[in-house]
Amino acid sequence: MNAIAHPLHPSVDTGALTICGLSKTYALKGRPVKVLKDIDLNIRPGEFVSILGASGCGKSTLLRLIVGLDQDYQGQILLDQQPVRGPGLERGIVFQDHRLFPWMTLQQNIALALKNHVMPAAQKDRLVAEHIDLVGLRGFELAYPHQLSGGMAQRAAIARALVNKPKVLLLDEPLGALDALTRVRLQQELQRIWIQERCTVIMVTHDIDEALYLGDRVIVMDANPGTIREDLPIDLPHPRERDSALLQGYKQRLLGELVGH
Amino acid sequence: MRLLSPLSWLISPLALLTLWALVAKAGLFPVNLLVPPLEVWHSFAELLATGELQEHLSGSLSRLALGFAGGSLAGLAFGTALALSKTLEAYCAPLFHTLRQIPSIALIPMFVLLFGVDETFKVVIVAKTAFFPVALATCEGVRAIPRSHFEVAAVYRLRWTTLVGRIALPAAVPAIVTGVRVALTRAWVVLVACELLAADSGLGQMIEMARQMLRIDVVMVGVVVTGVIGFTLDFGLRRLERRLSNWQSR
Amino acid sequence: MKVRDMRGLVLPLLMVGAWEYASRQGAAGAYAFVPLAQVASAMAELLGSGELLINLWASLTRTCTGLGVGIVGGIGLGALMALCGPANRLIAPLFHALRQVPMLGWIPLIALWLGNGESAKLLIVSLAALYPMVLNTFESRRQVEGQHREAAQVLMLSRWQQLRLILLPAAVPGIAAGVLQALAFAWVTSVGSELFLSSGAGLGSLMMNAEAAARMEIIIVCVLCIGLSGYLMSWLCTLLSRRLLRWRPNR
Repeated sequence: MNAIAHPLHPSVDTGALTICGLSKTYALKGRPVKVLKDIDLNIRPGEFVSILGASGCGKSTLLRLIVGLDQDYQGQILLDQQPVRGPGLERGIVFQDHRLFPWMTLQQNIALALKNHVMPAAQKDRLVAEHIDLVGLRGFELAYPHQLSGGMAQRAAIARALVNKPKVLLLDEPLGALDALTRVRLQQELQRIWIQERCTVIMVTHDIDEALYLGDRVIVMDANPGTIREDLPIDLPHPRERDSALLQGYKQRLLGELVGH
Repeated sequence: MRLLSPLSWLISPLALLTLWALVAKAGLFPVNLLVPPLEVWHSFAELLATGELQEHLSGSLSRLALGFAGGSLAGLAFGTALALSKTLEAYCAPLFHTLRQIPSIALIPMFVLLFGVDETFKVVIVAKTAFFPVALATCEGVRAIPRSHFEVAAVYRLRWTTLVGRIALPAAVPAIVTGVRVALTRAWVVLVACELLAADSGLGQMIEMARQMLRIDVVMVGVVVTGVIGFTLDFGLRRLERRLSNWQSR
Repeated sequence: MKVRDMRGLVLPLLMVGAWEYASRQGAAGAYAFVPLAQVASAMAELLGSGELLINLWASLTRTCTGLGVGIVGGIGLGALMALCGPANRLIAPLFHALRQVPMLGWIPLIALWLGNGESAKLLIVSLAALYPMVLNTFESRRQVEGQHREAAQVLMLSRWQQLRLILLPAAVPGIAAGVLQALAFAWVTSVGSELFLSSGAGLGSLMMNAEAAARMEIIIVCVLCIGLSGYLMSWLCTLLSRRLLRWRPNR
């Protein structure tokens, strides 16, 4: 394993995300509830950002706003200086539940993401096959989602999000529903894939170890309303060792902040 | 807007009624094929005033009550026994599932020959119609009570009365009520069909007589009343079903 | 294991035996309970003369035609109601009101309007198949989970692509369940309508004529035939839908 230049991949120059003064209000039983308040965030191209927070702090809402599923907010979201409007193929997302379509095979599910690309069928086939390889699912091309284990289905969802070559990959607690062992394995996979693909990644999680192990930065969020409490750079090259003293130190600090000894 | 939206559901029924009245008034069809809605209403009022409608209705409903009570109680008992006893299942299940396939309507001619055209035949066929759905639902409802419930009960050393009353019954009842509802709706349909074919009283007989005398207004009153009764029976049991299963996440 | 399987046969055999016994108890018994030999010879006779097949064929073709009309109309109407709010507002009240009347309750009215020929029966069978199709199509659209719709949005599928690739396949299980129900209704209604409008060919007409002539053996053959055909048709339909829905986990 060779160390990769840190923190930025020199070859990546698109995928910068700028968020200014972002606020979001829901109406709950007729009363407005503020879920996000004055979020400012600058994410550099190719950066892996972990967003850490307790459930209900608005971190998933933040991702929904960035991916464009919800367009009712105040403030600005810019991708490479262009405002974001609605969903787009330059932003891929992996949800906590895999959301593969149960009536399509693995191959068809991934190919669906390429539906509106103008390219020869052979090239689409090749891209799909490459990404199935990338997530280590070769041999399962013709399996239906119900035949895959939870971890495999989540890998497939990652492949579907990556096959469009998005500038930004959004991960909404992608490993949250998996068992602890599968989780650790997929964290390593995610790191490998990210090093290979070199896109900007924003991952929402409530697992401190996961946030520290994968992130170039860890953004800690507070709830009610959702605000950024801390922006913690992790100066450690990838791939990382889980038991590094630096990560352990950060972990103790974050635990203290979030749980309060 | 909030007041308007429930009213918008009335647009099409009112439009149809108006269209019906207009077409009937224009005289495009002979009166014995298309009576104006107002005349149907008058016939309804007349049938009510003379007590004729009530008489037919009570005839039909008492048959339904008698046959349904018999059939569904038998179904309840048989279904429970079928779910609990492996021996009974081995002996009865194949016959039960074969007979279940035969639609009640197709049995009308056979039952007429066996029981004659009197009350017995109608009550028996209603009972038969009610028996199968109730028995099936009961059997499945009882079988679907999770084993783990009984284990929890054992851990807490619950008495068996508590076990049946507080655990087994509530767990099985929603499925059974669904079966009872289906059975009641079907029994009503089959009863009206029987009365259309062979009866000297009852809603179906009223419709059939009116048809033979070309009284389309009375036929329509009968059809509407049949529908209203069916709807009411179904609606009532649906309410019950929802109350009994409000602990389920649906 | 073999002995266990045989236990299911005990009760039917007992019933047949009791029937045969009853048939030998004098004239009154033989009127309703015909001897088994007579049932067998009636079966042979009906098969030999082709009478059974002609009537079965008539009932079956009407069922299939009515089912076809009901499926096409029901999916169309159900999809219209599911996808277009104003259309639902207009159609739903009428549909649910008309649905409350038992299918066979319509027969006198329809007979007055259309006579008691084939067209009246076909209309009733089509209506019987239409109801479950509309209901199931409408319901299955609601069952397309919001998460699937979001995933389709993120993948930038156009409206038409969403309809064709997401909504339609997601609705298939519901529609298949509807077809199975519609088939059962259409078959019962087809035979039932012949009991009331017993002109023309059909198993129901055959039974009514046999009832008038007190020919129990013919009725028994018809009932067996109706039960068996209904069972075979729904079995075929289940096979077909399982093939179509092989992407679903086996429950």
